[in-house]
Amino acid sequence: MEIKYENVSYVYNPKTALKKVALKDINLVIQDSQINALIGTSGSGKTTLIELLNSLLVPTKGKVIVDKDIIANKGYIKNINQLRRKVGIVFQFPEEQFFNLTVKKEIEFGLLSFNYRTNELDKRVSDALKMVGLDDSYLERDPFKLSNGEQRKVAIASILVFNPKIIVFDEPTIGLDYDSKKNLIKLIRMLKNRYNKTIIIISHDIDFIHNISDYVILLDKGNLILTGSKYDTLANPAVLKEFNIPMPKVVEFSYKVLKKKGIKMGYRDDVNDLLKDIYRYAK
Amino acid sequence: MESIISIKNLDFGYDAKQIFNKFNLEIEKGSFTSIIGSNGSGKSTLMKIIVGLYKAEGEIKVDNIAMSQDTYKEIRSKIGIVFENPDNQFVSETVMDEIAFSLENMNYEKKEIRQRVKEIGALLNIENIMEKEPHSLSGGQKELVSLASALVIKPKILILDEALDMIDNNRRDDVLRILTNLNKEGLTIINITHNSEELLYGSNIIVLNDGEIKDQGPTKELLRKEKLFKNNGLELPFVVDLSYKLKYYGLVDDIVLDIDELVDKIWK
Repeated sequence: MEIKYENVSYVYNPKTALKKVALKDINLVIQDSQINALIGTSGSGKTTLIELLNSLLVPTKGKVIVDKDIIANKGYIKNINQLRRKVGIVFQFPEEQFFNLTVKKEIEFGLLSFNYRTNELDKRVSDALKMVGLDDSYLERDPFKLSNGEQRKVAIASILVFNPKIIVFDEPTIGLDYDSKKNLIKLIRMLKNRYNKTIIIISHDIDFIHNISDYVILLDKGNLILTGSKYDTLANPAVLKEFNIPMPKVVEFSYKVLKKKGIKMGYRDDVNDLLKDIYRYAK
Repeated sequence: MESIISIKNLDFGYDAKQIFNKFNLEIEKGSFTSIIGSNGSGKSTLMKIIVGLYKAEGEIKVDNIAMSQDTYKEIRSKIGIVFENPDNQFVSETVMDEIAFSLENMNYEKKEIRQRVKEIGALLNIENIMEKEPHSLSGGQKELVSLASALVIKPKILILDEALDMIDNNRRDDVLRILTNLNKEGLTIINITHNSEELLYGSNIIVLNDGEIKDQGPTKELLRKEKLFKNNGLELPFVVDLSYKLKYYGLVDDIVLDIDELVDKIWK
């Protein structure tokens, strides 16, 4: 499914004293069926960029193309509900939006508002729960009494239940412990590998991004700075420094070895990978 | 050791679920303690009990005052607390008013309030957002504002409940260095965190799981217990994890807490 930004600018409160340019002339293709990471310091335009995807915002200039829909000032969206079912957004602290008394009601709420037929409802809710690793015993439980990790899963299931092709996660690791974070990484990989979803992740947790992403998009003050594989982006200390992005720990280590000892090690994905290199160069 | 927080025989539970059962805890005056443990281990509940938000059975003493209906307000005035998700706490229209809010409630003079707000803004380097509306800020900036509001009352104890989660890594290290300095000046700090990198700051670590203290001690001593971390589903800081593995290969002889130091040890 094509997702493309063509000359997109977005201005908050245009023609007022509070005018704020959030995005400037963005040309960008989101990689289909890949894990795309959106990075940049606060105020760089990350959230604005994703809110344009399902027409929560409409570009001030240019257009966003999502499949057959064009989101633009004079664009044509056939059916906004259909667009919003294609693009599921898991916002920050999604569990704070809970208001139903059971997990089942929480997950089916969105579907009911989209007028789904009730005979397939139960199955879809149960399937969505299964995808996030929870079984049917959770259906009648009170969502407010689950642990943080479980609540986050239920919130994600309430998006997966629409079966969106594109899933956006805004700061999904916040408040999660190590195990829940590992589970989240597994879940996101599965959504890509088994269900062929296009994933977009906003996160300032650079080690998480380094671990999970295929493709990295760097924004700074509303400008698109750089796109590319994580090898081309996150392994580039000079670029990271210029735009005040912290280095992933693995990259930082190799960088320091080069700077202090003049030894150039290859790009490594994780600690275990790095270990072999250190052993080779230290011996 | 002089305790600033002392808890004995604490019993507490929600509905049918018992969280603490004859629980004991001592926090040393002037220490910088990190509390770690998985979601649901009781960390946040414990903090809410310490500031008197939850009533629990048992003996709780903060700065030598026993918690009771008559004393909980006094105890609260000694503690600055910052929760996760600061959005839920803001009440004012500008950052400046937000930070001044608790001082106003404590009936400080206007001049004193202005002075303190200015000082704390400079300390945390947030002077440029003082006129902004708290809700319009980024997650990281909001956390800094909450931290400023907690510190401005000059508490004896600062409690951070996963409060630095949304701050960029670079900035978070700055904040932790500032907190380390405040700690040296006498502020007792308790940092509840899921981020293993934050453990490298601070003097002590407490591992809490299922409402029990699994282990506690000085930072470096605890970080030597690889199994403790594994068994409780916890992550080690990157540099510690790497030095463990290098130790296995015989490339270093002990764990190291700093990347530069580790590089120097490998290539002597």
